[in-house]
Amino acid sequence: MSLPLTADRQVTHEAPERDLLKRVWTNAGWFSVTTHQRLGKRYIITAFIFLLLGGIEALLMRLQLGAPENTLLGPARYNQIFTLHGTTMMFLFAVPMMEGMGVYLVPLLLGTRNVAFPRLNAFGYWMFLGGGLLLYGAALTNTIPDAGWFAYPPLSGPQFSPGKGVDVWAQMITFTEISALCVAVELAVTILRMRAPGMTLNKIPMYCWAMLVQSFMIIFAMPAVMVASTVFLLNDRTIGTHFVNPAEGGDPLLYQHVFWFFGHPEVYIIFIPALGMVTAIIEANARRSVFGYPAMVLALVGNGFVAFGLWVHHMFATGLPQIGEAYFTAASMMIAITSGVQIFCWIGTLWTGRLRLTTALHFVFGFIFIFVMGGMTGVILASIPLDLQAHDTFFVVAHFHYVLIGGALFPLFGGFHHWFPKFTGRMIDERLGKLSFWMLFIGFNLTFFPLHLVGLNGMPRRVYTYPVSLGWGPYNQLATFGAFIIAFGGVVFIANVMRSRKLGAAADANPWDAGTLEWATTSPPPNYNFECLPVVAARQPLWTDSPEQGSVVGLRDDRREVLVTSFLEAKPQSRYVIPGETIWPFITAVGFSIGLYYSVFSFAGYYVASVLGMIGLIGWFWPRRPLELRP
Amino acid sequence: MIGTRTLDVSELQPFEISNKSPLFWGQVLMCAIEGSMFFILIATYFYIRMSVDVWPPPGVPSPKPWFATLALIPLLASCVGSYIASEAAKKDDRRRMLLGLGLNLALAVLYLVLRGIEWRRLNFTWASDAHGSIVWTILFLHTYDVIADLLMTTVLILIIARGRYGEKQRLGVHVDSILWYFLVGIWIPLYVVLYWGAHLVGGAR
Repeated sequence: MSLPLTADRQVTHEAPERDLLKRVWTNAGWFSVTTHQRLGKRYIITAFIFLLLGGIEALLMRLQLGAPENTLLGPARYNQIFTLHGTTMMFLFAVPMMEGMGVYLVPLLLGTRNVAFPRLNAFGYWMFLGGGLLLYGAALTNTIPDAGWFAYPPLSGPQFSPGKGVDVWAQMITFTEISALCVAVELAVTILRMRAPGMTLNKIPMYCWAMLVQSFMIIFAMPAVMVASTVFLLNDRTIGTHFVNPAEGGDPLLYQHVFWFFGHPEVYIIFIPALGMVTAIIEANARRSVFGYPAMVLALVGNGFVAFGLWVHHMFATGLPQIGEAYFTAASMMIAITSGVQIFCWIGTLWTGRLRLTTALHFVFGFIFIFVMGGMTGVILASIPLDLQAHDTFFVVAHFHYVLIGGALFPLFGGFHHWFPKFTGRMIDERLGKLSFWMLFIGFNLTFFPLHLVGLNGMPRRVYTYPVSLGWGPYNQLATFGAFIIAFGGVVFIANVMRSRKLGAAADANPWDAGTLEWATTSPPPNYNFECLPVVAARQPLWTDSPEQGSVVGLRDDRREVLVTSFLEAKPQSRYVIPGETIWPFITAVGFSIGLYYSVFSFAGYYVASVLGMIGLIGWFWPRRPLELRP
Repeated sequence: MIGTRTLDVSELQPFEISNKSPLFWGQVLMCAIEGSMFFILIATYFYIRMSVDVWPPPGVPSPKPWFATLALIPLLASCVGSYIASEAAKKDDRRRMLLGLGLNLALAVLYLVLRGIEWRRLNFTWASDAHGSIVWTILFLHTYDVIADLLMTTVLILIIARGRYGEKQRLGVHVDSILWYFLVGIWIPLYVVLYWGAHLVGGAR
């Protein structure tokens, strides 16, 4: 299939037209912004601040555990710190960070001007911020959840967790889930319907495939956690429902099932976008298209499906029927197949490419090493007898830090270095970048490798201290030492970013000579991304010389017009005017936030949220002046 | 390299009011989110049933489905109103849009009244036991969604009646009908679970 392109016409915009495009896409104000790049950056920066907070909490824990019978933190404070650490890292850092990268990058990679629903995007960001402020605002008043990041009842129930900490935790989840769901819907529709003409399904950049799979996982998994945290836990605590109360026919295991039906896919929601980043980095730095594209896509989709059949492997120690457990063991081991396929494809790509050893590629190598290690302990833990031995020990802590830091954080740092020129218009310093990589890599392994051993020696997780006589001291000392190397690596990274965004060499449109569309526009891109939307005929359009490639003309410049293309073939289907900027998504988010904050104390808060939210939504949808700019 | 050749799209429809619009796809995905939530709640209903001996609990009579079944008539009929409105939105027929939305709203309000009457007959609350919790939660959340959609429908009626609307608002009418079909459609399995579930999986274990 080829699109009817017309030969050789001047396509660059004349100056007055460009001015018009600029004016149409001007930002209306700080609270009204709907430009995907600005919102993406806000997501990234906000999530990074939460990473720092979560990191400080991790250091506090490591300091406490660094010596036996330490008294730096008491048991109650330690419980609060590890709960804050896990909650922050999962809900306020990892997912929003991945969403932020997606919000920034996906429209650029697809060759369009914005996401499909820009106002929803703004609303999602403000809800995320509202959730973060709830958790840390409450922490400032010493109302801190302390039942772990998954808050199992009965420990988290009204009887054993009095006070408002767990309620704050449960409602904070609602905020971040709403935010993630907004981004999932808008990115899925953007990827399905707003690709550049000619970008058929088998030409979508792997990163966008990853974001599509992730979006669908969010859509099917996140409602479960809202049911678990809000309907079960919060309602049991505040209005006296009995979902997890065995005395009245409820069941605490019900909570675990529903929580992990979300919780396991959640891990992949964090990690699948990272796989897409890895592919993008490898393609650009091995200077070839990824080896085994169809296998990679199928592996990603397969990962997405299998992820929903794994949740019980978090519950092997709860005494479920063995036949069911056996199924979940088999499913858990299947993940090794889909992950293995991808690792092989990456190695094949690296092997046959012409490598350029950038900082980003260093992080990818670090990822492959650490992630394979974590994957192997994962296969070990999928086996029930071994899991029962290692359950709730530091072996599990070591395992999931290997897969999460290795599988998500290293690719994320790699991606950040890779796309830094696009974000800021300046090159990031490679020497400092590599220094921070080595510090993070060495520090990480020093911290978490000993935890495998101390876990196998029987050290349980979530204890605030341990006696000298058990001999766990040296392992923990080493881990604490490693944690500080990680911290210094982080400082080097931050210093590098701060310095490079002011003093780095100016970046041109495509500093890496990469092949995908985000590198076809200036660094940083204008608000409208591309003066003319591209038409593509290959997976790496910038590496391809084809008569079927070119530019779209005929979109109106005097309003925010984008092109809608068909779902499979990406044939142009219609034009579509995306709405202008308005403050109403912000007002709506504030209204919802006020109500949901109040709901921590009383069910009536939901009615407040509904009324305020409805007012916001009416303002949001009320018809406004014509969409066109007056000439 | 992006060459110098061009693809002219100026002939394309500037605003598609149909199922090809991105907004339609967004609405479908929003419905998928709601659907996942109700799916989890249905699973919860049966899970709770499995963990107790007697269902419904002693003192709670088996639900009598005839009234809820009767109430299905206005509910299903209200979809006709949605259909008329969304077809009229595609053709920009203001009178029929108002007719369809009004019909939808009137029948849905009638349905809500019937549901309210049915609801008052429950002799347990969310705080009675786990059975009460799940039944009330399903009823509450579905009713909440229905009311939210009806408020949106009311706002659309106001906008269309004022007469100062454009393609975006017509697309809104179409997409509103999609949400309404979903809310009616999802009620069918919920209705089966709530009113027939106890007959199918009830009694003493």
